Amino acid sequence: MEMSPLTQSITKIIGYDHIIAKLSAIAIVLSIIEFFLPSPIPGIKPGIANIIILYTLVKFDLKTAAWVSLLRVFISSILVGSFLSPTFFLSLFGAVISLAFLFLFQKLPKKYFSLISFGIIASFGHIIGQFFIARLWIIPHDSIFNLLPFFFISALIFGILSGYLANTILKH
Amino acid sequence: MKKLLQRTKLFKIGDILFIILFTCLIIFSISNYWDAPVGQYLKIEKNNDEPKILSLNQNSNEKISGLLGDSEINISEGKARFSKSPCTKKYCIHQGWVNKVNQTVVCLPNQISISITDGNEPFDSVNY
Repeated sequence: MEMSPLTQSITKIIGYDHIIAKLSAIAIVLSIIEFFLPSPIPGIKPGIANIIILYTLVKFDLKTAAWVSLLRVFISSILVGSFLSPTFFLSLFGAVISLAFLFLFQKLPKKYFSLISFGIIASFGHIIGQFFIARLWIIPHDSIFNLLPFFFISALIFGILSGYLANTILKH
Repeated sequence: MKKLLQRTKLFKIGDILFIILFTCLIIFSISNYWDAPVGQYLKIEKNNDEPKILSLNQNSNEKISGLLGDSEINISEGKARFSKSPCTKKYCIHQGWVNKVNQTVVCLPNQISISITDGNEPFDSVNY
């Protein structure tokens, strides 16, 4: 994903760090709002901060998206008070695997794949990374696999939703 | 299909592809993990003791002595439950019958837990 000339010139004027800081700030606010929303099933969250990551991925590049995503994980966990707790490691590994998935699929042609595809990839990356850590470390028992269908269904729904919202944000 | 896509402008062709792909993954996960298979063996674990493995194809009452006293585990018709326990809250008894693989009932005060297995467990303990 190459930066367009317009965004390149914007980057030059405002400065790269400022852009990362602004985008991360939005992502942090969204993830803190999400932290206070009650969730129907434990472990299932809409992941609205993902919208910002997807927006960054298209408007800038994967490196910027990685900065924003990891800064969001660290700073929102410090603000919420879960830094270095299991929750923090779950969200960190989710974000890392999600970025790895986006890295693998970043060469998909834009003509046929909109942000909805990337949203689905990112949310599945999140859920797979978190599930991996949960199975290995937090609940090392096979019965956790029975939750997998719920997680996958929610990942698909929220992936489509966040991709659609990122699409609409990009249009305006 | 193409007309519908152009009209809605919501999904591109690749998005539909991804949705179908991941729906297949969901269906696969549901068919594998939605419902655990019925187990054949009952594993009784007691504090500092070797786990005891019993077949579920029998009708019997097992008396296990724990920290507080004797717990009674009732096996019948391929299911198992705690039928008597010396603990105060009786959560283990209220859990009722279990018969599916990986279902577990734990009595913390008496330090006894029972779980259903299908007979092939690769490790008897994992340390890390």
